[in-house]
Amino acid sequence: MSEEKVIRYGFPFVARFEWSVGFLMERFIKSLVDKKILAAKCPSCGYTYVPPRSRCGKCYAQLGETNLVELSGKGKLVGYTIAHVELDGSGNFRDLEKPRVIGAIKLEGADSTIFMPLEEVDPKEVKEGMEVEVKWRDEMKGPVDFAFRPVR
Amino acid sequence: MRRVAIVGYAQTQHQFDMDKTREDMVFEVVKEALLDAGISREEVDTVITSSSDFLDGRTISSVFLSMAAGAYLKDESKAEEDGTSAVWYAFMKILAGTHDVALVEAHTQASTFNPHLVSFYTLDPLFDRQVGLLNDIAAAAIQARMYMSAYGVSEEEIARVAVKNLLNAAKNPNAHRKIPDVTVEEVLSSKLYYHPIRELMMSPLSDGACALVLASEEKARKITDNPVWIEGVGCCQDFYLRDRDLLKLGSLEKAARDAYEMAGVRDPLTELDLFEVSEKFAHEELMIYEALGLCRRGKGKILLEKGLTEKDGEIPVNPSGGALGADPVCATGLVRIVEAAKQIRGEADGYQVSGVRKALAHGQFGICAQKNWVFILGGER
Repeated sequence: MSEEKVIRYGFPFVARFEWSVGFLMERFIKSLVDKKILAAKCPSCGYTYVPPRSRCGKCYAQLGETNLVELSGKGKLVGYTIAHVELDGSGNFRDLEKPRVIGAIKLEGADSTIFMPLEEVDPKEVKEGMEVEVKWRDEMKGPVDFAFRPVR
Repeated sequence: MRRVAIVGYAQTQHQFDMDKTREDMVFEVVKEALLDAGISREEVDTVITSSSDFLDGRTISSVFLSMAAGAYLKDESKAEEDGTSAVWYAFMKILAGTHDVALVEAHTQASTFNPHLVSFYTLDPLFDRQVGLLNDIAAAAIQARMYMSAYGVSEEEIARVAVKNLLNAAKNPNAHRKIPDVTVEEVLSSKLYYHPIRELMMSPLSDGACALVLASEEKARKITDNPVWIEGVGCCQDFYLRDRDLLKLGSLEKAARDAYEMAGVRDPLTELDLFEVSEKFAHEELMIYEALGLCRRGKGKILLEKGLTEKDGEIPVNPSGGALGADPVCATGLVRIVEAAKQIRGEADGYQVSGVRKALAHGQFGICAQKNWVFILGGER
């Protein structure tokens, strides 16, 4: 056996998937344009999902459009991490120019936790339990593009 | 109920950038497991492999593996996710009485495609993936910080888990990441990914495979005089990340309870001699102690501090080095079963723990250990 490595050969796999977002998620995505966050409150057990779900994972009841509720956009930071790298989309990690904060946020009126960027704050100043609020983008880069910032 | 035993096993020397093809790697590990059992290919009547289409880079990842695993013209199936799920499935096939000898094989060559990107693809495509920043390491980092602040655990204490397991890995010939003189300082100065998670606090990207031969009691008695019995099994799936309490491993708690009940284990702390667990991140091992009922919630660090979970401690956890020592993704939980069986059979050369009669092996899959499998194994009394 020689010391040299056997050659490796790679080629990209490019695929574009398309999913139906479903009725409730469609309402959620459309409402983001009007700067509104919708959640779905289970009519049976009361658990409130953000983003909305059409079937309750806790009690399996069905949720419909009448179960949609609007949230205030305010919430509490229940956890966070400071990101120093990000996935580059082709399987590698690349260093971020500036560290970014990813928050685990419990929105007022919701039971699920969402994991979103926390901006306009020095990573050293971030504290668990902080009050945060939604920060809308002037121009959304995709169907789901918003962040949070500390309430001042 | 029938009894089922492990009668043979093998694993590769886990490493990155293996020269061998996936098929050669699987063929060799399967051949070695059959040799270890002392049976021929013809005696196996069902073959179950475990791999992932995304990780192997091909749909139907078991394509071309039937030859490698000796499965042509046999009952053959594939269980996705961790290899422990394939063992659970093989165990049931033997219990059902339709099969007597099963071969289980699990593998991943992480050098094919970054498993962290595959984990990213398991997130909700319509929301979490749109945000872009979240992935399995980021989620584990959020969990680690929440755990640290809820229970007053420091980064040094998390790093000590990595030091314990990497020192153990250095003595395990099959382990991938070996740093025989690793220190807390070295762990804490390794590359920072998502605070507090650094390179040496997460499992390495490994290429590797593992194989196991299972047999019904009747067959096992003929094959070996040193069978390792599967005495209890538990499997549990947790809620999706957004709807889960990240401060505990709830599905592992339930899987462990079920496995203990089936095995008749009342007090794992005194009745089990050894634990092989799949800690993909260092902080997870502390949470695993708690979920397995070895200590109260938030007290995992005390077991570590007192050295109880070291190789020579009262309740050795991961004398093989665990997932921090090698993580060939789909094979990682199966390797835990093999390592536990090895200890029971007294074959862990260089890292044997004395007097192991009953041991626990754990496998996991999914972000923040969403799904967990627990096996209780026992030797001949």
